[in-house]
Amino acid sequence: MLVKFWFKSIKLSAILAAIFVHGSVCAEPMSSGYDLVTGMTNASKSLSYAGLVTYEYRGNLRSIKVAHIVRDGKTYERIQHMDGPESEVVRRGDDTDCMRAADLLLGGRPLKSGDDNYAHLRDLYDFHIRGDARIAGRSVSVVHVIPKDRFRYGYIVAIDKQSGLMLQSVLMNHDSKPMERFQFIDVAIGASANNVEWLPSLMTSGGAEESVCQQDNTPPSPSAWESRWRPPGFVLSSYSPDDPDGRESMMYTDGLAVFSVFIDASESSQSLPGVEANVGATVVVLRKAKFNNRQYAVTVVGEIPRSTASRIAVAMGPIRRLPTKSLNE
Amino acid sequence: MSDYEDRLGESVSALMDGEATEFETHRILKEVGDTSGARDSARDKWRRYQMASSVMTGEPVSKIDLSGAISAAIDLENAHRINPLTRHAGSAGRFAIAASVAMAAILGVQQLNNGGLENADAFQFAEVAVDEALQNTGPALQFPAGFQPNIQARTVSVDGNNQTSRQPIAKTIEVGQPINKQFSEVELRSYLNDIMLDHSSHAALNSSQGMLPFARATMNGVAPEPE
Repeated sequence: MLVKFWFKSIKLSAILAAIFVHGSVCAEPMSSGYDLVTGMTNASKSLSYAGLVTYEYRGNLRSIKVAHIVRDGKTYERIQHMDGPESEVVRRGDDTDCMRAADLLLGGRPLKSGDDNYAHLRDLYDFHIRGDARIAGRSVSVVHVIPKDRFRYGYIVAIDKQSGLMLQSVLMNHDSKPMERFQFIDVAIGASANNVEWLPSLMTSGGAEESVCQQDNTPPSPSAWESRWRPPGFVLSSYSPDDPDGRESMMYTDGLAVFSVFIDASESSQSLPGVEANVGATVVVLRKAKFNNRQYAVTVVGEIPRSTASRIAVAMGPIRRLPTKSLNE
Repeated sequence: MSDYEDRLGESVSALMDGEATEFETHRILKEVGDTSGARDSARDKWRRYQMASSVMTGEPVSKIDLSGAISAAIDLENAHRINPLTRHAGSAGRFAIAASVAMAAILGVQQLNNGGLENADAFQFAEVAVDEALQNTGPALQFPAGFQPNIQARTVSVDGNNQTSRQPIAKTIEVGQPINKQFSEVELRSYLNDIMLDHSSHAALNSSQGMLPFARATMNGVAPEPE
């Protein structure tokens, strides 16, 4: 009897052991591609990092030294171009707790994008883990982000396994051909990035360009223009009213892709021709529009397909003020 | 502006993009020959588009039109008599070319097969990028780097083909062709640069891409500056 019990308990412990061993083998977190991509935006905001980056398109290559330092909830950034004309940008970025539209979208929160459309990243893109690779001497997970429609491009992103930081981003066109590649070749993350000599002077001088956090995705002051068509999922993420030159701008994002619309009634814009142009992965569509006997230059700029940009540009128009409609809203 | 001219304008820009069909190419060639019409001819369109492309790549804009002189010279030229022997040699040569093209095609297909899915892989980028540049530059390699323009000159009206809006769309916008041809090239270039810098500085804040937009801005030859 006792022997039988012994056997039983051995069997039981063997099963339990098998379960535990199996569990520990699979214990490595299996996060989905979607989780990795949404985590990446957090990492790029909240982490301090500094490194060297290459940016490549159409056989052109640029190298840039970047630093993104977080101190006391404030962000300081420095961008130095290592080739071509000498230039350097130092700026005070958003506070880390500033949640812009793109952050919300990437956080998985749906945002109101139109009268009755709600944008959700998962409805717009498929996320597939492509495997592991090594970038900037670090081990990364490669995620293929594939758009579900032809209004936007896809990406291949490489995300640092340890920190979640995006170390490579390749914009892919609809034929699965790369259009541009942004890639770290060397990076220091966390405390080792924090030791920078330019930071103290920036923190005290306050002379750098500062960003104003626009969290709300409704325009603060009404524009006379509205977008009557945009690809599904794009929400307004920032709006700048007329600047002294008479140019107002709106920026839309679906969480990953971004485009800006500029409406310009200034004197200097009058003589410009209608233009469609590409610079790398960026497309510029400039259209002339006439409204109330005034000439406007309507320009759409973004990393989106040219056909999408043209369609957006055509659909920009002055707001029609319908009294009943505005009451309903 | 007529429908026909609309389509012609599209064909011309398609040709500049290297995307014109054979039919479109023929139509453009026919139209280019027609200089009589009072309307905006294909020849003018082509000239204007090319000028804009020069403007944006920073090349000097040439105002000299050689086409008249060249076609006159061609008219004057005697037709060459064709030696029957060379004709045969010619077709043999053509056969040789066809054979080598077929060879190249086979090799190409093999390479493609080897690549398989990996073709799309980001790690083979540099090569593909060059390829891409060739694809996009169209018939003549007139846009080395930088802007790849395609000037549009058609009348556009906002139609009701709108999925997100339920309201009927009125024809409120009229987009005309570039009436004023006297735009300064410097002006256009600096305007586009300005707008792109603005865009990238917005994008750096409003996207998940971190510092990537700053890298893009430099490709313009102009680095972003604090405002």
